[in-house]
Amino acid sequence: MPKISQEDYQQRLDRLTEIFADIVSHADEQAAHRCPYRDARDRCTAAFSCGNQIPAVERGEPATCGHDGTFDYSLAWETDPATRERAKTKLSAIKRAAAARREGETLPTGPGTVSHDGKTQPLAIGMTLFDCADELAVEVPTSCQRNGRCHECVVEVSAGEAALCARTEAEGFLRAPYRLACQAIVERDDIDVAFAPLRRRPRILVRAHADAAAAPKVLDPLVTRRGDDVLYNGEVIDRYRGHVLGLAVDLGTTTVVLDFVDLETGKSVHSAAFENPQAFGGSDVMHRISYDRDDKAGELQKAAASAINRAIVDGCARLGTNRQAIYEIVVAANSTMRDILFKLDVQGIGQKPYKSSIEHAFLAGERANTALSARALRLGLRANRAARVYGLPLIASHVGGDAAAALVALEEGFADAETAMLVDMGTNTEVVVKHRGRMLAASCPAGPAFEGGLVRYGMPACDGAIEAVRLSEDGEAAYETIGGKEPLGLCGSGLIDLLAELRRSDVLTAKGVFTADRKQREMTVVPEQGITFSKEDASNLGQAKAANYCGQYIVMRALGVDPADVECLYLAGGFANYVHVRNAQSIGLLAPVPEERVVKAGNAAARGARAILLSATRRHALEREVQAIEHIELETTPDFFDLFVDGCQFKPMPTHLVPEGTAA
Amino acid sequence: MAELADIANAVIRDEIEEFLERPDEIERNVALFARVRPEMQDIAAALIEGDNHTVDALTAKALEEGTEALEIMDDGLIAGMGIVGIKFRENFIFVPEVLACARAMKAGMAHIEPILSASGVEPIGTVIMGTVKGDLHDIGKNLCIMMLSGAGFDVVDLGVDTSEDEFIAALEEHGAPIMGMSALLTTTMPNMGKTIEALIDADIRDDVMVMVGGAPVTQEFADDMGADGYGKDALSCVALAKKLMEERG
Repeated sequence: MPKISQEDYQQRLDRLTEIFADIVSHADEQAAHRCPYRDARDRCTAAFSCGNQIPAVERGEPATCGHDGTFDYSLAWETDPATRERAKTKLSAIKRAAAARREGETLPTGPGTVSHDGKTQPLAIGMTLFDCADELAVEVPTSCQRNGRCHECVVEVSAGEAALCARTEAEGFLRAPYRLACQAIVERDDIDVAFAPLRRRPRILVRAHADAAAAPKVLDPLVTRRGDDVLYNGEVIDRYRGHVLGLAVDLGTTTVVLDFVDLETGKSVHSAAFENPQAFGGSDVMHRISYDRDDKAGELQKAAASAINRAIVDGCARLGTNRQAIYEIVVAANSTMRDILFKLDVQGIGQKPYKSSIEHAFLAGERANTALSARALRLGLRANRAARVYGLPLIASHVGGDAAAALVALEEGFADAETAMLVDMGTNTEVVVKHRGRMLAASCPAGPAFEGGLVRYGMPACDGAIEAVRLSEDGEAAYETIGGKEPLGLCGSGLIDLLAELRRSDVLTAKGVFTADRKQREMTVVPEQGITFSKEDASNLGQAKAANYCGQYIVMRALGVDPADVECLYLAGGFANYVHVRNAQSIGLLAPVPEERVVKAGNAAARGARAILLSATRRHALEREVQAIEHIELETTPDFFDLFVDGCQFKPMPTHLVPEGTAA
Repeated sequence: MAELADIANAVIRDEIEEFLERPDEIERNVALFARVRPEMQDIAAALIEGDNHTVDALTAKALEEGTEALEIMDDGLIAGMGIVGIKFRENFIFVPEVLACARAMKAGMAHIEPILSASGVEPIGTVIMGTVKGDLHDIGKNLCIMMLSGAGFDVVDLGVDTSEDEFIAALEEHGAPIMGMSALLTTTMPNMGKTIEALIDADIRDDVMVMVGGAPVTQEFADDMGADGYGKDALSCVALAKKLMEERG
């Protein structure tokens, strides 16, 4: 091979440099009106998520660039002086810390700390909360490399917000106390900051029932397999990939439970539970509805979909498969949660007559039933590309597919009794009473107090939550925590116990006032951890309790039923299985049905969703059955206000609700 | 005078016919490719199509058959890249396509490099390039890499989202005199400073000249973080790298 001389080579390099220099300067000009990641076929080649991307319809295809080229693209890269200032602050913090480390000094941190779940770390100016989370080994979700685009790293700042920088533009959709971990930069180090990501993992409830892993009685799913083909409703949609899975989702206002089901055997193969990440849009459905409009419309849908997707990816990995093996997703949710997930306008549910657009269409005769069905792709859910999402039919108004699902789960017990009651307790409690062939339902907007919201030391049923409390004679609290961990706060069952115990020992009046001193604002529950309980907490719990109270009271009375007539009271919902029935009855949260007739039904909605996933027959039957259920609007009851005020008090519900002589 | 029909490769003929509009450029390219051997035309065609695998295979085959390296560069790689430059200038293709062609060019050059070093022609120097931790933007960095390779630098591309450890490991492996960092986000820009601090901690800061660039980066910022040089854009990148080589001595 002949040698190449330096001169010959240099000549070629010069020629190349000439060509490349032209290319680079043209690229520079072009960037003013066309994104450099946009290729000749207008597809987006960026590895990061860009706000202008239009996702491809077909799986595996790249996204299309949705930028219209009408503005100076380079402007999008310009950064405002405040952001630049923050970058400089962060840089100098990095340099200071490195210098100190080399000098062998301790980090130049202030007296403030940052903490999560009991773990603490000194605070350093310039760090983002995401950096802090890294240091504390807290997992915070993200899919945009922390640039404020994906909106997944929402954290709740429970203390020390003043130490953080002002909200950035990317956080415009959030209000206090929520921040994007990637955007919140520490500006002061003399305040203690505490935060938590929105997806702590609550105790998984689907496993609480032994039958979850057992094969169901009826197995006729819409998705079936014939040899190497996977069919949906008899039509071939895919080749067999080793698994035929379905997903039953209980999409609650506060908690989401996912159940991965093998559609060939009917057995549950995996489950997951997490807090609903939509919490930044408010803790109850009414706040979520008012959040989900104008420029913020769609944010809640994105949050729920990405959280579900995360669980799908994780679950599939554990099962040794991928999302392609999921062929159907069945969602049990209240009307608001369901319609948000299905990308429908929910504003109508927030105002009189509190009905979903789907229910309006059904009542107008425009649809046969209130169930929903959509392609998973369209909803942004990661499953097989042919997978469909089925939203269980609504009962009426706020009483949604989750109540319908719970009824499916209770089926036989409920059907056989002459008089039965379902209380599905949650942020939105549903009450359904059956009496002599009639069924009447009501929705009770309880709010999140019993699920950890609005109560200073309230928390979901995660590790470290106090789930049971007893007060000794001298007022000292003996408690049990979930997982036997150090107590962090109280979950629903713990709060019910605490209220009942405070009433029993006469520390608190029925109206939630401390007996020793009427002006006393709060009391200590666990001195070591500084866990307290205040008058305000009691008041919020009182109102949540009143909603539950009114629902049961009004529905029973409307059917001419007294608590003693109820043959079976099914208590369902996230924390139902952990509730001490007698305590719940003593504070009037639960109707005084004889204790032996109270059946803890656990997460009935999740089980019902699973049953619907596994049976097309049951599904079609339910679509008809819900139409026969009557609905009562609690607020329209003439004495609603009196009952509500009464219900706010921590005392048992009367044993006779039906006026003398009118009993059915 | 040569005519389009004298060009053996159909892709090249189509490219000239469809995308070249200036008479002088048409004439020059028709004359060039009519003279070029079909094997070299195939290399040029594959490069224009951004097909790095084919360029790689065809270059290896040509060298095996005894073709001179300079002929491959002139008639295959550079001739093809000339068409790419024109198509880009006329907005028939865009940055992602150009970068695919540059990658194909690199695949061909990889076979030429051993011949260069056997001839005693050494690269100007090795440059480690990467986008910093937390940042997935790479176009600016890739354009810089294209310019640097075209100017005779040996470039090691660490890609996007590069951690401090990855930079350090690459520096130690290649003993590179220059390291370039890019960041496109204000939020990730401070990670350049973090990486420089990590170089100090690893006791290799004095062995390397650090240059930084990217949309939010300014000279002031580069100074603040302790970088040795700041490049405003890909065009200034080569001059900066050469200057840093000289300063390092």
